[in-house]
Amino acid sequence: MNSVTRRHFLRTSGGAVALGLGGTAALAGCAASMRGDFAPKAGKRVVVVGGGWGGATAAKYIRMEDPSIEVYLLEPNRQFISCPFSNLVLSGVRTIESLTMGYDGVRKHGVKILHEAASAIEPDRRRVRVGEGYLEYDRLIVSPGVDFQWEQVQGLGENQDKVLHAWKAGPQTTQLAAQLQSMADGGVFVLTVPPVAYRCPPGPYERISQVAWYLKARKPRAKLIVLDANQNIVSKAALFREAWKAYPNIDYRASQKVVAVDPGVREVRTEFDKVSYDVINLIPPQRAGAIAVQADLVGADKRWCEVDHTTYESVKHKNVHVIGDATIGLPVPKSGNVANSMGKICATAVVHLLAGKPAPLIPPGNTCYSWVSDREAIAVVNAYRIENGKVVQIEQKLTPAQSVWVAQRSLGWAQSIWNDMLA
Amino acid sequence: MGTRMRLMVVAAALVVLGAGSAWAAGPLDHPGFTKTLACTACHGPGGNSPSTTMPILAGMNAEYFKKQIQDYAAGKRPSPEMEPYAKHVLQLGIDDIAAFFAAQPRQPTPMLGEPAAIARGRTASAPCAACHGPDGRGDLAKGIPSLAGQAPGYLVEQMALFKQDRRNPGDPTLQAVKALMKTVPDSSFPDLAAYYGSLR
Repeated sequence: MNSVTRRHFLRTSGGAVALGLGGTAALAGCAASMRGDFAPKAGKRVVVVGGGWGGATAAKYIRMEDPSIEVYLLEPNRQFISCPFSNLVLSGVRTIESLTMGYDGVRKHGVKILHEAASAIEPDRRRVRVGEGYLEYDRLIVSPGVDFQWEQVQGLGENQDKVLHAWKAGPQTTQLAAQLQSMADGGVFVLTVPPVAYRCPPGPYERISQVAWYLKARKPRAKLIVLDANQNIVSKAALFREAWKAYPNIDYRASQKVVAVDPGVREVRTEFDKVSYDVINLIPPQRAGAIAVQADLVGADKRWCEVDHTTYESVKHKNVHVIGDATIGLPVPKSGNVANSMGKICATAVVHLLAGKPAPLIPPGNTCYSWVSDREAIAVVNAYRIENGKVVQIEQKLTPAQSVWVAQRSLGWAQSIWNDMLA
Repeated sequence: MGTRMRLMVVAAALVVLGAGSAWAAGPLDHPGFTKTLACTACHGPGGNSPSTTMPILAGMNAEYFKKQIQDYAAGKRPSPEMEPYAKHVLQLGIDDIAAFFAAQPRQPTPMLGEPAAIARGRTASAPCAACHGPDGRGDLAKGIPSLAGQAPGYLVEQMALFKQDRRNPGDPTLQAVKALMKTVPDSSFPDLAAYYGSLR
């Protein structure tokens, strides 16, 4: 899909927050029929806000487990674009089209999908504002993903079109790929890693590997400077360092938190240093999606949502569940696999609770693959148990080395998990 | 039947109806279903993996499944992915999970190979049939699994692991398959996998 088409449908679907799941912007183009209680509730109903890894999975599984429950899914985007594997679009190993999927499979389970943003949540009245009307619910599942803290980096907010994050797969992914391709040999590509917690802990390091692999092959005199706000590589550090031995073009600098950017002079400033660039990929600091902040689902830090570890019900509002990257407090990474896991566990909990039964105690699982070249990958896998009502990690395992076998298994993982969410 | 007896029957029926009507009949009726929620990300709903490198668990013999989980968890069958998940399975209840997957109808892999590869694989499979049978369905009494309809990418990787003695290294019960795989050129693995994956 090209960016013009995408912008067009974003505009026509009323989702003014580019790629946001559950953005809070005013709905300009919503259907005139969406006024008042535009779909009066008859039986049991669950509304899901956000159709990403967590929300699409939850909506589908509720219908699979109990088709007597009516499920509405609110997702502004008409197509799902996978963040996992989108780093490979930068290196040209994958196309964005190969990561773009529709929601027809979810619809076939009887999920009613509205390509609209939820504009507000009213927990006391158990309803979600959509357009000029509202939807009532018995239980609400909020899967809002992340939004960016633009204000944390001076000069970033007003230059969002020039300083790309490409951290929500979509138009920015292909735009950044184009910037990388058109950079002169001998140029400097600067990639900045935000402080934890952020979406996909190994993601920036996979991206570094992909950009370095591309530059080594296509622009051998170019350099990749990494400014990492963290003290060390956040995930799979030893495996990434081993992989980077093949990429002497990487200049990795730890504890370099970005505080300002000036695209006019192509310069980025950290707490201690100034760095010039030809192309920049600035991954901003993150927090829960805007709707979660606005609905007071976040904690005192105003960033992330604390939840019950077995039902994912918000600790702040009853009958409202939060899943995916927006959550905090569980010893799990903000990964697509975890969001998919939470989607299923939360769906199962909601089906049980609506039937007046206790939710089963099911821990999530996590598998994170990272590609370190055009054909080899590494992985980290986590298993958990529930102990006194809390999720506790019981095991973490890394692949012993990078290999083509791991990469092949990651392709199988992707196909299977996209199917689990969307088919 | 007296009035009192009739009332008791009606009451009992209402209790049964009440218990069953909390939700519509479906996957939650099997005690193993909720325990497999983490598995389906890779292995597909009901264990019917749609991808080539993730094995299909649907219809898998429960005893074979349990042995593999125990071997993964103990590190005997080395797998960075499955060792943690095997421990996840053990703590949630291996019997329920094995029974759930065994009860699911197997949908053969949708990842079909080229007809020429399948034909070459059929010819090359003669020595495999001695244990896995002419139909590829194995011999459960001897712990030999069915290969019919299994995901071909998974089969290719397992053949390589057997050949290199990296699956259950040193396990005496697997000596025969490892000795056989040492005689098979790596280039035949995709053909053999395409053939077994094609069996319905």
